[in-house]
Amino acid sequence: MDIFEVIKGRRSIRKYKLKQVERELTEKLLEAARWAPSGSNIQPWLFIVVEDHEILEMVRKISPGYFGEAPLAILICSDKKRAHKIGGTLGRDYLTIADCAMAAENIQLTAYALGLGTCVVKSFSHGAMKEILEISEGIEPELLIIVGYPDSIPVPPRRIPLNDMVYLNKFGERLQLKEA
Amino acid sequence: MTDTKDTGNEYLFELALFLATSGRNCIDEPPLYGPFRLLDALSRLTDFPKHAPSLSEDPFLNEVKTFVDEKKFLVTTDAEAFKQAADELVKRFAKELKRRYAQNKKEK
Repeated sequence: MDIFEVIKGRRSIRKYKLKQVERELTEKLLEAARWAPSGSNIQPWLFIVVEDHEILEMVRKISPGYFGEAPLAILICSDKKRAHKIGGTLGRDYLTIADCAMAAENIQLTAYALGLGTCVVKSFSHGAMKEILEISEGIEPELLIIVGYPDSIPVPPRRIPLNDMVYLNKFGERLQLKEA
Repeated sequence: MTDTKDTGNEYLFELALFLATSGRNCIDEPPLYGPFRLLDALSRLTDFPKHAPSLSEDPFLNEVKTFVDEKKFLVTTDAEAFKQAADELVKRFAKELKRRYAQNKKEK
């Protein structure tokens, strides 16, 4: 599949079929995440794969931004202690967030290429998530990605035109582009 | 439908949990997410009769749920259309309120 087809085809899915996600596909998503870039090569991420029905239900119930009954969720956490040790405060406070976001994007694009749908959720209760998944001190939940086979695919939302966001050489000097 | 939503009390707990987590998250989230969570809570509230057999289904609220579920995600794509949908929702409630008052008068 062409990379642009994947990037432009991915949507945030909020309705899923009941079908389970095969374990080998889950492993591919995790492998894709593992190969994301990271500042200072910290690789601060840890992944909690949630497929147990009862635990998934609890995760859904403490996540107002979790829509649809997806059969799988991957919580991307950051190891703040390791990030601080290698990357200092910049690593701990900023890079971990960017790194986890890049891992999340790899998961989403790979999922789309495999015929799966995803939705990244940040609207979860941080404290409740740590309690339910028994997450240790120093490990912070960053992004929850829900995964399943799409039952409904939304239309693409409007994008701000490139000409409104791109400058040439200096801020404020427009780079005139042919609109894609 | 999940096993744990089988009783009204469990569904009430789930709704309360949704409100608690939403209430906390709204402190940090985009301002429009407050209205979004409230409308989503309304949608979830209208499901109550499915879990509490002593309550009867309300056709108006069922229609409201359909409307809200169709429109609520506009919050992420078109804030103006989301606001118009919220305005439309309030109008529908006002009309229904008038209709119920008129019906009550007739029945007295």
